[in-house]
Amino acid sequence: MGKRFDRGGDASGAPRKRVKVVHEAPTSEDIHTSRQLRQLLAFDQDPARSRHGLQSFKLYLEELLGATSDHDDRAKILKDYLHSETPREDEETPVYLPDVMQTWSHAGQTGNDNISSAVVVVLGLLLKVLSRSYDMIPYGLGICRTLLQKRQQELISKNLAADKGKAFVIAPTLRLLKEAVSFDGGAIARPLFRARASMLKSLARNMGIIHMGDEKEDLRRPSTRTTAISFFLSAIKYLHPDAKKELLSQRDIVSALTRDVKQDPPYLLKELLPGLKDHVLMDDKLAREAKSHLLNASTLVRLSALYQYRLDASTEDEPSIADLAHEFLLTACTNPACGVLRQDAGFYPKEADPNTVIPTVELDDLGLEAVAWMNKFKNEVPVRNYTLSNFLPNLRPWSNVKQSELMIAIFNVAPELVANYFINNKSFTFEPKLSATWIGYAAFLFRAVTLPIPENFCRAATVPELPPPTSVVIDNILPLPLNQKVLMRCLTHKSNMISFFATRILVVAIEKLDVAIKLHQDPSHSNKAIWSEAARRLVDEFCQRSPSIKEMINAYRSIPQADLLHREAASRLLRLCYEVLPQVALSAKFDVSPLLDTALGRLSKQELEDPRDFALSLKELENLLAIAGYSPGMRWFGASETTTLSPFTLLLKVCVEAPHGVSLNAIRQVLDFVATEQQVIPGKDDHPGLLPLIEALQVVNNKSSDSATRIWPFLDNCLTRCANTPVKYLEKLQELVQELPDFADENKEAVVSPIALALMEQLPFVAKNGEKAALKALGRFLPTFLGLSAAVGETRPLLSLILTNMATHLSDSKGKLGKASALEGFVFKYNVWPSTTKTFSGGKSTAAQRTQATASTSLDLTTLESMLFVPDNLEAENSALTKWASKTADELVDEGYTTSLIALLASEHISMRKEALVSILKVADKIKQSEYGEKEQVWLLLSELAETARDSITDGPLPSTIVAFASHALNIVRDPLHGLYPKVNVFLTRGPFWTLDKLPLVDDILSEEPNVGDAFYTQISWLLTYLIDGLRTTGDLELYHKKRAKGPILERILALATNPYMRLPLRTQVLRLLYRATSIEGGSTTLTTRFGIVNWLDARRSACADASEVAVYEALQRRIWETCDREKVKSWSKGGIDN
Amino acid sequence: MAPSEEQQQHLADKQVSAEFTSYYLQRATQEFAEDLDKVRTADDFKADNALPMLISALQQGTAMFSPEEQRRIVTAEKKSSS
Repeated sequence: MGKRFDRGGDASGAPRKRVKVVHEAPTSEDIHTSRQLRQLLAFDQDPARSRHGLQSFKLYLEELLGATSDHDDRAKILKDYLHSETPREDEETPVYLPDVMQTWSHAGQTGNDNISSAVVVVLGLLLKVLSRSYDMIPYGLGICRTLLQKRQQELISKNLAADKGKAFVIAPTLRLLKEAVSFDGGAIARPLFRARASMLKSLARNMGIIHMGDEKEDLRRPSTRTTAISFFLSAIKYLHPDAKKELLSQRDIVSALTRDVKQDPPYLLKELLPGLKDHVLMDDKLAREAKSHLLNASTLVRLSALYQYRLDASTEDEPSIADLAHEFLLTACTNPACGVLRQDAGFYPKEADPNTVIPTVELDDLGLEAVAWMNKFKNEVPVRNYTLSNFLPNLRPWSNVKQSELMIAIFNVAPELVANYFINNKSFTFEPKLSATWIGYAAFLFRAVTLPIPENFCRAATVPELPPPTSVVIDNILPLPLNQKVLMRCLTHKSNMISFFATRILVVAIEKLDVAIKLHQDPSHSNKAIWSEAARRLVDEFCQRSPSIKEMINAYRSIPQADLLHREAASRLLRLCYEVLPQVALSAKFDVSPLLDTALGRLSKQELEDPRDFALSLKELENLLAIAGYSPGMRWFGASETTTLSPFTLLLKVCVEAPHGVSLNAIRQVLDFVATEQQVIPGKDDHPGLLPLIEALQVVNNKSSDSATRIWPFLDNCLTRCANTPVKYLEKLQELVQELPDFADENKEAVVSPIALALMEQLPFVAKNGEKAALKALGRFLPTFLGLSAAVGETRPLLSLILTNMATHLSDSKGKLGKASALEGFVFKYNVWPSTTKTFSGGKSTAAQRTQATASTSLDLTTLESMLFVPDNLEAENSALTKWASKTADELVDEGYTTSLIALLASEHISMRKEALVSILKVADKIKQSEYGEKEQVWLLLSELAETARDSITDGPLPSTIVAFASHALNIVRDPLHGLYPKVNVFLTRGPFWTLDKLPLVDDILSEEPNVGDAFYTQISWLLTYLIDGLRTTGDLELYHKKRAKGPILERILALATNPYMRLPLRTQVLRLLYRATSIEGGSTTLTTRFGIVNWLDARRSACADASEVAVYEALQRRIWETCDREKVKSWSKGGIDN
Repeated sequence: MAPSEEQQQHLADKQVSAEFTSYYLQRATQEFAEDLDKVRTADDFKADNALPMLISALQQGTAMFSPEEQRRIVTAEKKSSS
């Protein structure tokens, strides 16, 4: 402590010479009684004796502070002393500890800093000791009030304003003030602040007295700055909002607070950053204005220096100083309540009013030129967020991930700053160079480009009248550093990685451009011409900044074959060009066929070891196929110079040989589209397209890939012939029909894939050439293909006839193939929904096509019922009461006897329920006595069910939810490997009975993570089955729409179904639940009025691409309309819902 | 040949995303091994900041793949194991 350095009053008067520092350690003695203490602290003019007394008191207080227990007798000395020193209540200005105060006053008069320091040290310690004990608080408050008296204020002020070198006086005074301001929960914070002229004297200067020396600042010997900041933090913690505002308006203090923050020790920063965050930033009662005094640009810049903080000693478990600073800055800059962030108008700069009124005549004549500000922001973008605008250039987003994150977060909440930032920081170019800085900058730009476009461009729900300035929009899509020249250099750079990074940026930029164009084309714009003009300008601007498509194509061609990620990105870029900028893309006259051939060749050669690589390559292939879809001259059939098979057959081969788990929908869609167009397969809606052919090829391929190899050239030949002369094979079909007089007479439509006829026609040539291996393979393939075609509904007699014709050429020694039964026994499950979507246009089905598909599919209510109706599994079967008696424990549980008994608890008849309850108890007992593996769990479940049912058994049927839960839970407790086993057991051990109006386990499944990492959807499946079974009566329905903490059950299930990753079977389960609800009286009305089911179904329908699934939503909507109380619904919707 | 639906459902979204990111990074480091070596020897490469930046830069490309596309890629399996 500083008290050892004496530069006391003895030097006064004499000329200022270097004073020899005398180390005068004060003497002390142990304190044993309060009387002794009083004597020691009694005023004495002799400084040595005074110091002796204060030092003894200090050691005694330190002893109390260090003590853990059993010091009551020691503490009593203090209590007695304070009691004796308490002033009389009737005194006008009661002075606590008068002797100590007198000593201090005398020291002040004589300029004895040692004693002044010693007094504030003991007072600080004393307050600390007193704050620990409830019954000592009055003494502490008395002392604090004494400090606020005029004389003491002067002394404190004098101490605080002491020479900078007198840290031994200043620091303990600040510590004393810290104790005082926080004493008893800030009881005297308010009057203390009122006396700020003394109490905050020289605070800013004192904050600047930093630790000097090479060694680190010691936690036990904090610098004056550290102590001053600690006091400041306590003050803002306890001061009321007005006082805090006043304090924060003291510029010198606020400035001093962060001036030296870079050199502050880590423990101080760990106090400072959270302190400012909690008591300034997040203080709702503190005015925004007050916060902005603290968070000016220079504070932000200083705090951002902590990203490079060098003195950090944080362990891995705790956040580093850089992390804390990042967290602080994130909150400060992105939370509008913190006073920095101001509401902006998105892409409309400060001076551009999106709703400027411009006469229609002017707009018609001049177009965008009529808008005065339209071209004004090319070189300067005025912003509302000037603090942030000044702060951002100080960050280095290219060298530090966190700084990059901070900037992107700021851009996200203040989109006006993007264009502003890049215009003001032109010096940093994107010139390609393989360096860490370039990569960091590329990453930052990628993030900036992926930022979403603000709502309606202006961050408001209303659609603005005028479009935003094109220059600002383009600066957000391709920020200024990304100009054509630089991007071209990147694409052609010898380093593949640089080209890859530039490609990725262009991909996200075109995606963003697409969104921007669509927003310009929004039908709700009142002045469509002006918005269309703006959209055209935007595309022009984009083309001027982006490299030409030729360069993109060249860049794609130059990517090594093995660079799958890079190839995927480059092909995606080309595809996007075709989709978003078709005129520009088509002008390049790009022939995709050779690239498609190469990609197909690579995939069909099975060169890729890792199946994920295969799936990634497939993405590239999909992109190329999409481009091919835009190229009218694409030749699907006929081999090219480099390949032996046609692109179509190669694609088919890729499909057949794809690794398990790879989704081929996009490719199969292309194949089906082309095959239907070329009349290789029947163009009927209910025909599954090429699936039978693919399945048959897979069967052969799975048995022997060698056999499949033999088939491909033959199949390719047949496909090409069939596609080139489809009419020939359609005629052949008619000829074949004539060969079957019975069939021809019936006048039925003959359905056979033309490719089957081509295969039949070409087979003799294979036989003639004596290709035995090929014939053997075909002997396996052809019957399978025809059998599967029959299984999917093609005309069986004709297929039999075709097979008989083929049999003569195949090696059919046993004569099996010629028999009519050769096509029997094929079962082919391909799709639950009758698939009708056969649209393909560059991989994206257009809205018009979707509408068309929708129009052609509609379901009648009987079909809907067959899809969604679930029989009542809880229907009471009275015989269950007698059947169980003779069964063993295993049979009771595993063969459903117990479940039947449980179901009886929901019976209408009281006697049945009572008997069932007794039987369940008996069954539980029987199982418990048995050797059954899971007897304990089963017993517990049944006993809890019985306990739940017991009290209400006479009142009526048990809620179906409870019964359904018990039956389904039984299946889980008997199977410890079930994913829900832990959850059900936890539930059972929670209590001896269940609440009747709660649905057991619903919360656990919907809200908690699954016990077994990835079993979420399995659990949802179980839950939905139980919920469907549990919904049978109006009473049950009430439980589903009853208000609950997390919302009604039905509402949560509806929300669940919007999860885009939920597969079709689960979505269907949700629909089944809704269907069940519509079967209950009032169910449809409840669904409509309580859950907005009409809108929900609309939303589901518009989000769904599959026409057959759309049909189900529509049919369900009709069903709801037909089963609801129409009058009530009409009046509820005020006529909005009407058939 | 249809991808096992159950198997796909079992992979929770987060896991899919994590697996895809790991695959993406693995592929990127493989494809650009030579360039990455050059970057590591560049003057401005300081391990403290540059390495996390490099990793973050490489993996941000995963944002170009929709969750469904990511799932398709990570759930692909070897044919022999089907």
